[in-house]
Amino acid sequence: MSTRFIKYVEGKSPVHKLDPRAKLTFIFLFVLSLTLTFNIALLVPLLVISLFFYLLADLPWSRTKETWKFILIITVALSALNYLTIAVLYSGASTTGKLLVKLSSPKIILEAATPVVKLLTLAIATATLVFTTSPNLYAPALGQMGFSYKQAYVIQLALRYVPEFIDEMKKTLEAQMARGFRPKGGKNPILKLLALVPLVVPVTISATLSIYDIADAMELRGFGEERCHTWYRELRLSKLDKAVVVSSFILGVLYTVLFVMRTLGYL
Amino acid sequence: MSSRESFSTTGLVAMGIGTALYAAFNVFFNIFQLPGTQLVAMRPSVSIPMFFGYIFGPVVGFITGFLGNIISDAISWGGFWWDWDVGNGLIGLIPGLVVYFISKEDLFKKKGYITCIVLAIVGSIVGMGFAAYTDYLLGYGVSTIQEATYALFIPAAVTDAINGAILTPILVAAYAAAVKSRARRV
Repeated sequence: MSTRFIKYVEGKSPVHKLDPRAKLTFIFLFVLSLTLTFNIALLVPLLVISLFFYLLADLPWSRTKETWKFILIITVALSALNYLTIAVLYSGASTTGKLLVKLSSPKIILEAATPVVKLLTLAIATATLVFTTSPNLYAPALGQMGFSYKQAYVIQLALRYVPEFIDEMKKTLEAQMARGFRPKGGKNPILKLLALVPLVVPVTISATLSIYDIADAMELRGFGEERCHTWYRELRLSKLDKAVVVSSFILGVLYTVLFVMRTLGYL
Repeated sequence: MSSRESFSTTGLVAMGIGTALYAAFNVFFNIFQLPGTQLVAMRPSVSIPMFFGYIFGPVVGFITGFLGNIISDAISWGGFWWDWDVGNGLIGLIPGLVVYFISKEDLFKKKGYITCIVLAIVGSIVGMGFAAYTDYLLGYGVSTIQEATYALFIPAAVTDAINGAILTPILVAAYAAAVKSRARRV
């Protein structure tokens, strides 16, 4: 199953127990609010909310350290890049001495840090959703949120086939290597790319041709005949879920109003 | 495939399979790195949404790139960046616009392959341009337009355009040959 690959960690935390529809609503409105933020003062509350969401999930360090390593690398690299680019390009410093003064300016540090904090906030929130939501629940959640069951089924199908195609790639690589195929190194990127053709083409073409067989098999079982569709996992919103949904809407409306007021010149 | 046909059973299955294939390729080339090829930056998998867009239409291409990138991000590091997912969706959508430029009969002829190469390059520029410049405009990670251009847009768009322009027509030609020898509907 796709749970073998997707970074889902089973648990009994309040975030794990939340209805996936409540979590998806929260993430959507949280990302909207984050997108509409225009200064650090509005960004800090969202960072606090995302950290609270993450800590409440009670995720084990051993399972999340790779994610944190990745986030840390991105954060440090982009912070340094922002800091140096702003200082060099926009500070207007003509000498090394003036540049050093500009580099320690709080305004430049803030300008360099704000986008990275925004990215970090997004990463923490989305990672918490992925770590606490079973891949089997996305399709039922979307289906029970008002999306057509056909559209929700696309996610179910995709998650069902990811592990199969990874295995298929491994098998094809082994089969091709048994026939003498060796991935070529060298410096020419085009030759390196062409060396992958014996690996990429068979898997892609066999997967593409299987689409028609799968579609036929589904239609023979009546897929798409009925407008209504029931889900094996029937989801129910608890009081906490409803509170999360309402709070998410309040957050989304608040940040939208602030953004509109700023655009109209009231802030 | 028209937008109505995109939501037929075949279209929906194409979205699911394309998404799974794109995610699987991304994961495979990230995790199981082949010796000597240094594939992390090369992303040969980018030809999958382009190919699905070209064969099954813009909607299928968009969903393949968008959902495939979300799933591969969820597998490789555990979260996702929505604007890069939309950018990957555009990479698949633009080759799907081929139906508006050439007839169905020409899809697997010389004219079709040239259009496929051009659209793969345009798709890479538009898709990665969207992702890089929304990062700048919305303030996700980068502060200056120079950073968005030199650190994000150019490396991503150039590698994706090379990958797409080389691998997508090869996949289309292989698909055309496979379909010809297949005694059933496709």
